[in-house]
Amino acid sequence: MTPERVVVTGLGTLNAVAGNVADFRRALQEGVCGIGPVTVFDTAEFRTHAGGQVNGFDPRRSIPKPISIKRMSRSDQLAMAAALEALADAGLWPLPEALRQDTGVIIGGGAGGMLACEAEYDHWLKGNRQPVYSRFASFCCASSADHIAAQLALMGPKTTFMTACSSGATAIGYARDMIQSGRAPLMICGGTEPLCRITYAAFNALQAVDPEFCKPFDQHRMGMSLGEGAGILILEALSHARRRGARILAELLGYGVSCDAHHMTAPDPQAGGAVLCMRAALEDAGVAAAQVDYINAHGTATPANDAMESRAIHEVFGERAGTVPVSSTKSMTGHTLGAAGAIEAVASVLAIAHGFLPPTVHLQAPDPACDLNHVTGGARWAAVNVVLSNSFAFGGNNTALVLGTFTEKGIGHA
Amino acid sequence: MHRRVAITGVGVVTPLGTGGPAYSSALFGGATGIAPIDRFDAGRFSSRLAAQIRGFTPRDFISPATLRRMDLLSQMATASAVMALADAGLQVEAADRDRIGVIAGTCFGGTDVAAQFGRALFTEGPRRANPILVPNTVMNAPAGHAAVALGLRGVNATVNHREASAEVALAYAAETIARGRADAILAGGGDVLSEFCFEVLSHFKAMSPQDGETEAARPFDARRNGPVIGEGFGLLCLEALETARSRGARIYAEIRGWGMSSAPAPPNDWPADPAGPVLALERALGAAGIDAGAIDAICASANGGRRLDALEADALARVFAPDRQRPLITSLKGALGESFASGGMRAAAMALALKEGRLPPTVGLETPMALLNFVRAPLRAALGNVLVNGFASGGTFATIVLSRPDAKED
Repeated sequence: MTPERVVVTGLGTLNAVAGNVADFRRALQEGVCGIGPVTVFDTAEFRTHAGGQVNGFDPRRSIPKPISIKRMSRSDQLAMAAALEALADAGLWPLPEALRQDTGVIIGGGAGGMLACEAEYDHWLKGNRQPVYSRFASFCCASSADHIAAQLALMGPKTTFMTACSSGATAIGYARDMIQSGRAPLMICGGTEPLCRITYAAFNALQAVDPEFCKPFDQHRMGMSLGEGAGILILEALSHARRRGARILAELLGYGVSCDAHHMTAPDPQAGGAVLCMRAALEDAGVAAAQVDYINAHGTATPANDAMESRAIHEVFGERAGTVPVSSTKSMTGHTLGAAGAIEAVASVLAIAHGFLPPTVHLQAPDPACDLNHVTGGARWAAVNVVLSNSFAFGGNNTALVLGTFTEKGIGHA
Repeated sequence: MHRRVAITGVGVVTPLGTGGPAYSSALFGGATGIAPIDRFDAGRFSSRLAAQIRGFTPRDFISPATLRRMDLLSQMATASAVMALADAGLQVEAADRDRIGVIAGTCFGGTDVAAQFGRALFTEGPRRANPILVPNTVMNAPAGHAAVALGLRGVNATVNHREASAEVALAYAAETIARGRADAILAGGGDVLSEFCFEVLSHFKAMSPQDGETEAARPFDARRNGPVIGEGFGLLCLEALETARSRGARIYAEIRGWGMSSAPAPPNDWPADPAGPVLALERALGAAGIDAGAIDAICASANGGRRLDALEADALARVFAPDRQRPLITSLKGALGESFASGGMRAAAMALALKEGRLPPTVGLETPMALLNFVRAPLRAALGNVLVNGFASGGTFATIVLSRPDAKED
C-alpha cells in the first residue's frame, strides 16, 4: 500500500518582518531585515540590544472573539494567531464541525510562557510583591497546542516537541507521520517562540549573539540575532484535500532527524549529524540531491554553525554544492529558535508557490569556509520545485524537511 | 514500510530503586517510594511527602568528566539509557550508532536549572548569569546528554507535553522504528523533583492534602485529596521485532499500537467529559487491531487527584464492559507519586509485568471510588495485552498497547 501523500494547504506566520503570510512573501522578496531594538523587555543591562521582535502585534485583533486570549502567553497568542491565519488560508475557517474530531495539533516550542513567568519570578526574587501565580500557568510549551485544540474543540492527536532550535521542523515531520499512518487526515503544525530575558541572557552568556544584526555565512559574522514569532502549516492527506477541493500549495515530501552526539551546545565540526539528517530527509522524500533547487539553510551566523553547515552541504551535494542556491532567512527574521523550522518551512512553501529564492541579507563578504551559491543582492525569480530546509539545535538535535511542488505524478519516489 | 516493534531492554532510576531487578522486586512486592522529603527543607509547605529516587549512584553509569556537565535529570536519563542498552544486550558499534536514537519526554525538564540561571540574572544582572548552566536549561538536554554519552546519532527528539510526555515519546519512537527511520530507540522519559517546581506546585495547591486532611497518594480512592509528587526516569530499548528476534534478544513485550487524542479543557485542567480519553483508548485498540475484551490489565494515569481519577474511571467504565473480571486496573502513582513524564517508568513496569506474569498493586487505595477491577494487592496473572495510559492536564490523552510477544498473532 502506498502511504498517503501529505500536502500543505494553508500557511500562517507572524515574525519580525511580517504579521501575516502575504507580508512575509513581500518581505522575503524585498529582502527586508526585521532585526532592530528589543522592547518587550528592558535590554539596558545586556551586552546586546537587538533582536527580531514581532512589532505591532495586537492579539485581540489577530484572534477574534469568542476565543479568550486572557490566559494565553505571548507565545500562545502568536501560535494561535498563526494557526487561525493558516486555517483561513486553507479555506477552513470557520473549521467545519465534522473535521474537529480528527484534526490534530503538533507544536514545536521553545521558551513557552517564559516572558510572563520570568517577570513574576523577578518580582518574587526581589520581594517586590506577591507574584501573580496564575502567570506561571502558561509556563509550559504545551500550552500553545492546548489552547489551539481547546479553542477549536479539536480531538485529534496533540503534542509538543521541545528540541530547541529544531522544534518546529520536528513537529511538522511528526505531523506528516500522523497523516501517513492514517491517524489524522488534517494536522495543524508548526512552532512558536517568544523573546524573553532568560533566553536572551543565555545566548549572550554563550557569546553567541551579534550586537548589531546577524550576517549568515559572512566572514565577519559574529553570531546570531535572536528573534520571535510563529509559523503554522496546515498539512492534509492528499485524498482529503482533493475531496474538499482545497488549493494545494506544496507537498511535504519527507523529513529526517538525527543527533550530533558530539556536544550540548557546539555543533560537530565534522558535520556528521547534519549530513545524516539531510540524507535521511532526501531518502524519505525519495528525491536525489541533484533535484534540490534551493536550500533554506539553518544559517544562524554563528562562526561554528555556518562553517559546519557548509561542510555538510558539500558532503551531501558533492559537486553541486557550489551551484545549488542557499540562503538563510534568519538574516531577516532573526533566529526564532523553536519557531525557526516552522517559519522557514513557510518561507520554503512560499518560494515553491511563488517561484523565487529569498536572499541572505547583510551577506557582503562570504566566508571562504562557506563556499556555497549564496542568494545575495536581493531575491531572485526561479522555478523552485524542491526545497531542503535545515534546522540544527542545541543538544545536537538536527531535523531537515523536504518540500516540493505538488504534481499529480509526484516528485518523490519517481 | 511497517515493522513490528519490540521492547528489549529496560533502564530505570525510580523511587523504588535503580535498574530493572530492584525496581521489579519492589514494584511487585507492593512497596511504596513515598517518604518525607529530604532533598530540601519542605517544612514551610503543607505538603511534605514525595517519591524521591533511591539507590542511584550516577558514577556507576557515567564517567566523572561527563557527569560534571549534567544536572541530576540528565544523569538519570543517561544512566537509564546505559541500563536499557545493557539490558537489551545491544553493543553500540561505529557502524550502527547512526541507526540508534533517543526519544525522551519531560514535563519540567531543566526548569530548576533555568530558575537558578534566572536567579543570578535577575538579582545580579546578565553579566553574572552563568554560561555553564545554559546547556542544562533546555528541555532537550536529557536526550542530548544521553546521546553524547553513548555516541548515538540516530533519531533524537524530546517531547514536552506535560504528564503525557513520555507516552508520546514512546509512541513517536515506535512509529519511527515501524517506518524504518531507526533500528533501535531508547524511549521514555522522566522528571526531577526540585524545590523550585515544588514551591510553584504548592502555590497552585496541586498536591495532597488539598482538603487539609492527611497527606497521601490514593489513586482511585474515594478519600483521595491530590497527588504526591515524585521523580524518576525510565527508558525502554525499542527495536524492530524481527531484528530483535534474529539476534536472539529477550523480548519483554511488543508495542502493538497506540492512540492519541485531545479534548477541550480549561488551561492546566481536566475536561469533565470523558470523550477525549475514550477516543485515545478506542484509537489505541483500533491501531492494535484488538477488542476491548482482549485487554487484561491497564496501568492507569490516575494519581489521587479529584478530577483526573474521576475522568479516567469514567472513561474506563465506558470502554470496558463492567461485568467482567478483566481488565485489571492499577495505578503506580500510589507508589511512584506523580512524576509527570512518568510513562517510561510505568511502561517499564508493564513490560516487566508481561514478562513475569505479575501485577503491581495500587498502593494507597483503600476505598475504591468506583466498581472497577482495581488491583489492590500484588498478584500473579497471565497477561496477554495491557495498556499504559498517559493523560495530561490541558486535555491530552495517549494510550499504548503492550502485548506479550507470543500473544495471539495476526
